[in-house]
Amino acid sequence: MNSRFFLLLLAAAGLVVAFAPFPVQSIAPQERTFRIEARQFAYSPSEFKVNPGDTVTIQLVSADVVHGLYVDGYNISVEADPGQTASLTFIADKPGSFRFRCNVTCGAMHPFMIGRLTVGTNSWLFRSIGLAVLGLIGFFPFSFHKERMLVEKR
Amino acid sequence: MKRSELLTRILITVAVLGAVGTPLFLWARTPLIHAKVAEDGGWSPDVIRANAGEPLTLHLTSDDVVHGFAVGQMDMQGVDVLPGKVADITLTFDKPGIYTFYCTRWCGLNHWRMRGTIEVSGSNVDTQPVPAPLYVSLGLDIDAPHDAPILPSQKPSAIRGQKFSTNLPILQSPDFYRSHSPYQLFDELTSTSFTESQRWDVVAYVWQSNATPESLANGQRLYAQNCAACHGENGAGNGVFADDLAASGESSMQTMTGSEDMMMQTPVDFTDPARMLGASPALLQGKILRGGMGTGMPMWGSIFTEEQIWDLVAYLYSFQFNYQGAVR
Amino acid sequence: MSNRIEFTRSPFIKNALKSRYPQLAVFIVMLIGYIFAILAGLIGTPVGSRNFSIVFVWIAWWAILILVAVPFFGRGWCAVCPIPLPGEWLQRGAILRPERSGAKSKGRGLNLRWPKSLRNIWMQNISFLLLALFSSVLLTTPNITSIVLAAMLFAAIGLSMVFERRAFCRYLCPVGGFIGLYSQTAPIELRIKNKQVCVTCEGKPCYNGASTLGFPLRGLRDTPPFGKRGLLDSPLPRRTLGLRSANSGYGCPWDVFPGGLTKNTYCGLCMECIRTCPHDNIAINLRPFSADLAKPSTRIDEAFKAFIMLGSAMIYAGVLLGPWGALKDAAYNVGTSAWFTYAVVFLAIIFVILPGFFTLGILKTKSVLSLKQRFASLATALIPLGLMFWVAFSLSFVLTNATYIFASLSDPLGLGWNLFGTANAAWQPMLISVLAPAQTLALVGGLIWSARTAQKAASEIKTSSIPVIIFCFAATLVMLWLLL
Repeated sequence: MNSRFFLLLLAAAGLVVAFAPFPVQSIAPQERTFRIEARQFAYSPSEFKVNPGDTVTIQLVSADVVHGLYVDGYNISVEADPGQTASLTFIADKPGSFRFRCNVTCGAMHPFMIGRLTVGTNSWLFRSIGLAVLGLIGFFPFSFHKERMLVEKR
Repeated sequence: MKRSELLTRILITVAVLGAVGTPLFLWARTPLIHAKVAEDGGWSPDVIRANAGEPLTLHLTSDDVVHGFAVGQMDMQGVDVLPGKVADITLTFDKPGIYTFYCTRWCGLNHWRMRGTIEVSGSNVDTQPVPAPLYVSLGLDIDAPHDAPILPSQKPSAIRGQKFSTNLPILQSPDFYRSHSPYQLFDELTSTSFTESQRWDVVAYVWQSNATPESLANGQRLYAQNCAACHGENGAGNGVFADDLAASGESSMQTMTGSEDMMMQTPVDFTDPARMLGASPALLQGKILRGGMGTGMPMWGSIFTEEQIWDLVAYLYSFQFNYQGAVR
Repeated sequence: MSNRIEFTRSPFIKNALKSRYPQLAVFIVMLIGYIFAILAGLIGTPVGSRNFSIVFVWIAWWAILILVAVPFFGRGWCAVCPIPLPGEWLQRGAILRPERSGAKSKGRGLNLRWPKSLRNIWMQNISFLLLALFSSVLLTTPNITSIVLAAMLFAAIGLSMVFERRAFCRYLCPVGGFIGLYSQTAPIELRIKNKQVCVTCEGKPCYNGASTLGFPLRGLRDTPPFGKRGLLDSPLPRRTLGLRSANSGYGCPWDVFPGGLTKNTYCGLCMECIRTCPHDNIAINLRPFSADLAKPSTRIDEAFKAFIMLGSAMIYAGVLLGPWGALKDAAYNVGTSAWFTYAVVFLAIIFVILPGFFTLGILKTKSVLSLKQRFASLATALIPLGLMFWVAFSLSFVLTNATYIFASLSDPLGLGWNLFGTANAAWQPMLISVLAPAQTLALVGGLIWSARTAQKAASEIKTSSIPVIIFCFAATLVMLWLLL
């Protein structure tokens, strides 16, 4: 096989893996409410999943000091004092995995007070794994060729 | 030594001294009031001196989490004191005396211990004696059990009660309301022809007529800011700190020899009818004013105005009664 | 050397490097920044995100270091790092060039040789791990950061007073260790132009210095017929003796003979040899990425450095950026039993689990070399992988918190200043939409890069690269899962 053609094929495959629309089984959107308790320096629960299109309400309960909750990618946030539950409602219209994090300075480890919201499947992770596999596939024939030649020489 | 070497040495020395000296100088000239959670020392300094009639400007900063600053009994809007930021506030005290400043944003179980004083000196010393609070003049023992012996079978309704109350000449005066518990009024109504349930509805109506919508709204706001973290947002005594309070009570019992009633306790449940219907506004005012004396209930006397306490008391009864156009 | 582009061929660049002043100007700015950071951590607000020491060290400096300086300039940071300066100035007795003639060295210090048994980077491995185990506190607490910065400065001064050259940089600096390792991947190098010139060069002033006596060969300066009542002590003018000191400069502060440089690891890019070399034989080259990795290292200390860095990046990604609060508590609460468990697990991952799997993989491969030699050589493949792990991890941390830089610039001590009007800049993550693709690019690119490196290293020692590539693939999967 022409190696240039092979590389081209590989690049095309990479583009497909990175950008091709993911098959999604559509689930009727629901309304979901999560009660998330915030303490220095963790959320509980710290990971939750919704389906794309769901109307999500986060009830943020701070259990020690004032905390916030900011959702990466959605750029929305809410702040709650202890004793005053705050709620944040949004439509989970962007699929993927997003970190949510405290956006009200709450002590030393505040920058690392992080949780995870998954909307549908974390397709980018699978695409990335696909790209990694593809990268190695593209790499192997070349390397083996060279390696074999080396061994033969020996 | 060559000239270039000498000049370089001078330049570096000056630069380093400048890098150290300038910030140090400016830092020393910026007196800040630092806020830290009570476990780490609370306010520092916690005593501030001022002169009556002269504006006092304070620069406040937080060293850890979100705090707030307000002066008690001044009915002022609190200032947020945010971590690493500086908030400026200018206050003027008309009268000399000792004022309490306190943290307005919950910052942990011991948030309410974050208090300090402003000592305002001046010539026009106010000699007017402060009137004793109602529970004292009534001679109430606010620590004695006061449960109502008879409880309503359903939540008393002020709307229903209004219908029965039209021909009752009672007792709409604030003095009566403040000095009587709901049960006491219920008991006084025994002589009427109402059923028990109707009597409770009348009580609810009387209690509502002593609270304006504004005072209930104000009470609700004060409750959410100051009380709900322990007593719960629905009044059930299950706020976010309730378990911590109970736990610290148990641990303090292991290390201290103290009587049962002096230890940290779980917060009072305002949805408990026996407790609330047996308590007069004067008694609740006393509890709020004086605090729980070691139970974990703060002393609010130096923080709230009398007006604010009555608003809060009015709101507390709304956990027991259905009010017309009710706030809840 | 056809694939090199020599920067120093440009007279402008060459003169800028030969003169001490441009670098000195940067040094002074860095030194001021460094000392100010120490001061800020001590007197400024204890809130890390609003204190210059945390924001400028762990966000701004770290971002520049790991995203720009190391990948593109190798030891470029070391070229401007202020830490060794005070000690070096004391050691030399001068800030600028050495005195041209006559006068005795005003340098202070014992100028001992660094002990032979410590001539490796194990001390750097240990100092990095010491900081790594406390990193959650270090990263978030201004006064701890200050203490560490000050300790590094004073350690550098102390070592300069006892040992010759930059002993701190070369053998102790926790940062210098991994910069050196990863600088092998950078497209910049300092090398000699012509080997023959160095072979015939008299006295090797680039290593020995051409300074105090105008006589290059330090070792001979006190022995007859040169010193000790020899020629040098004669009252004759030096020029008459034919001693040249046309290019006076110091011997390599990094204890490296430039003529023998084959990799970037221990060359600190301090530019001293460019000034010292009397034959103008030193060049700064642009070269292909990871050129040094074609010849794999055989040193076990460097191999473990690669594991330490790879493992730390993975652990940090999990602990700091993961959703597991218990891990963060354990990492932060230094001294508690949870922290000791964390420390043990941390060290176990780095010294047992990762090297263990790696060794298992290469255990049965055919080779004439011993397992230890194969281990050291093949670990070279982990260098680009580890660097790209750090890039991917740092992208997330830095882009999320970069806005703190604006606020801290205007109010570095948290005293309520507003120097540039940006003190109230709100926290706002930056470029979040490109973060995940950028991380994938870094990690997948790192994987392919390391596979290629593994393949080269394996063919160099005539063994199979497949186990190493599988190891890198597995590590990349874990990292993808942690970050995405």
